[in-house]
Amino acid sequence: MIQLSKISKSFGRNPVLRDISLNVGTGEVVVILGASGSGKTTLLRCINYLEKPGSGEIAVGDLRVDCSRARRSDILRLRRKTAMVFQQYNLFRHKTALENVMEALLVVKKLPLAEARRRSVELLEKVGLGAKLDAYPSRLSGGQQQRVGIARALALEPEVILFDEPTSALDPELVGEVLEVIRAIAKEGITMIVVTHEMGFARDVANRVVFMDGGLIVEEGTPDEVFQRPREERTKQFLRRITPEANYSI
Amino acid sequence: MQLDPSFIWTAFVQLLGAIPTTLSITVVSVSAGFLIGTVTALLRLYRVPVLSQIASAYVTFIRGTPMLTHLLLIYFGLPMIIDALAAQFGWSFRAVSIPMIGFAYISFSITAGAYMSEVVRAGIQAVDRGQLEAAQSVGMTQIQSLRRIVFPQALAAALPNLANSVIGMLHGSTLAFAVSVVDINAQAQIVASTNWKFFEAYLAAALIFWGLTVLIERAAALIEKRVGAYNRGGVA
Ligand SMILES: Nc1ncnc2c1ncn2[C@@H]1O[C@H](COP(=O)(O)OP(=O)(O)OP(=O)(O)O)[C@@H](O)[C@H]1O
Ligand SMILES: [Mg+2]
Repeated sequence: MIQLSKISKSFGRNPVLRDISLNVGTGEVVVILGASGSGKTTLLRCINYLEKPGSGEIAVGDLRVDCSRARRSDILRLRRKTAMVFQQYNLFRHKTALENVMEALLVVKKLPLAEARRRSVELLEKVGLGAKLDAYPSRLSGGQQQRVGIARALALEPEVILFDEPTSALDPELVGEVLEVIRAIAKEGITMIVVTHEMGFARDVANRVVFMDGGLIVEEGTPDEVFQRPREERTKQFLRRITPEANYSI
Repeated sequence: MQLDPSFIWTAFVQLLGAIPTTLSITVVSVSAGFLIGTVTALLRLYRVPVLSQIASAYVTFIRGTPMLTHLLLIYFGLPMIIDALAAQFGWSFRAVSIPMIGFAYISFSITAGAYMSEVVRAGIQAVDRGQLEAAQSVGMTQIQSLRRIVFPQALAAALPNLANSVIGMLHGSTLAFAVSVVDINAQAQIVASTNWKFFEAYLAAALIFWGLTVLIERAAALIEKRVGAYNRGGVA
């Protein structure tokens, strides 16, 4: 269970998040939509504390962090309960696929080597990379790298996985394999917050869609509600721009 | 004046005994310099109040002045400081008991530290910010992230420049003659002083330096190949 209450963040004088509140239930998949610059990435980064929110409260499971006076130990605990899948994968470049997944198990969870290895192999097999354990990221395709990234995020068994446009850096033919993996873990009941422009994916997988604009949550609801019957003008405009299929059909 | 090829060999053999001196100065200054350089680089990168300004001043001053000057400043300045402190606190230690090579160790470490600070800094800056963020996102502490994720990659990126620093310090160690340390170059002068065959003696010294430099370059290339394997997509 994730509760964000009144998260605000400014870069200098530029307010990027304005009092964002959002609850995500256990096992829920929330997709965040919004135009470029609306603050989606910043919101995810705040939840993982890669960005320090100016104010507000983040609660994950039994941990509550008041952002205006978060201690270092709170931040570490928060990060251990959340995991991030990055748009640019950000795999540890000097480590193999297996080592990428094992790293946090060894260093953060302090598991014995054999145990960490066993679990990492299992996860990599699950994302379809059982044959690439010893490959360095530079030897992997974008889709494969992103699947390692997902396995790495799963390794710590976080309470929520944050996906920031996980397929937008991929060649179109590689998008499917990554979405497939995300779909599969969503089915397992892992809580996820996903920023994506893949509307088909959002429709299938999301329990809830949140539309952001100008650092605010403008509208939220089931995929049906938001995609078929958007109430807000800004949502309608955005959806018209993002789903141009109609324009192509002759 | 005739070239005496056989004396090149004679001198060469007599210079071999000075190699340990040259190497020890190089190894000490490079190792200590690497530590100093890493600390100063981190102080500057993290903009630690006060200390980062001191670090910057240190780096610009040292890089802005000749290595020989550092040696002379240490040689004449350090004893004054030590003896004053000794008098103040009643130590029995006196600066005269510092061996000459000690001044070379200290001063060249300070020199190397400033140059290597820039090398380490460039190496760290070459590592993509996403690497640190990925480490933090899985709950690694700042220290763990730096030690396990950023430094290994920074080192790989910095290796060619680090090798250059080592070569620079190897060649720079010849300046130790100024405080009467007998390194390879100083030994060449001594060898030649009996028969004035300076050219042959220095030629022998040059050959030794060249050989050592080639060894360092080879070693660096080997290390680079191993450490940087991940960049070319090599498999472990
Ligand atoms: N580190 C930063 N420093 C200053 N401004 C920033 C920084 N990061 C983001 N911003 C600004 O914050 C705003 C929101 O950025 P953010 O990356 O969260 O948007 P986004 O919704 O993820 O957009 P996109 O769809 O393009 O990824 C933008 O105006 C951006 O310029
Ligand atoms: Mg973004």
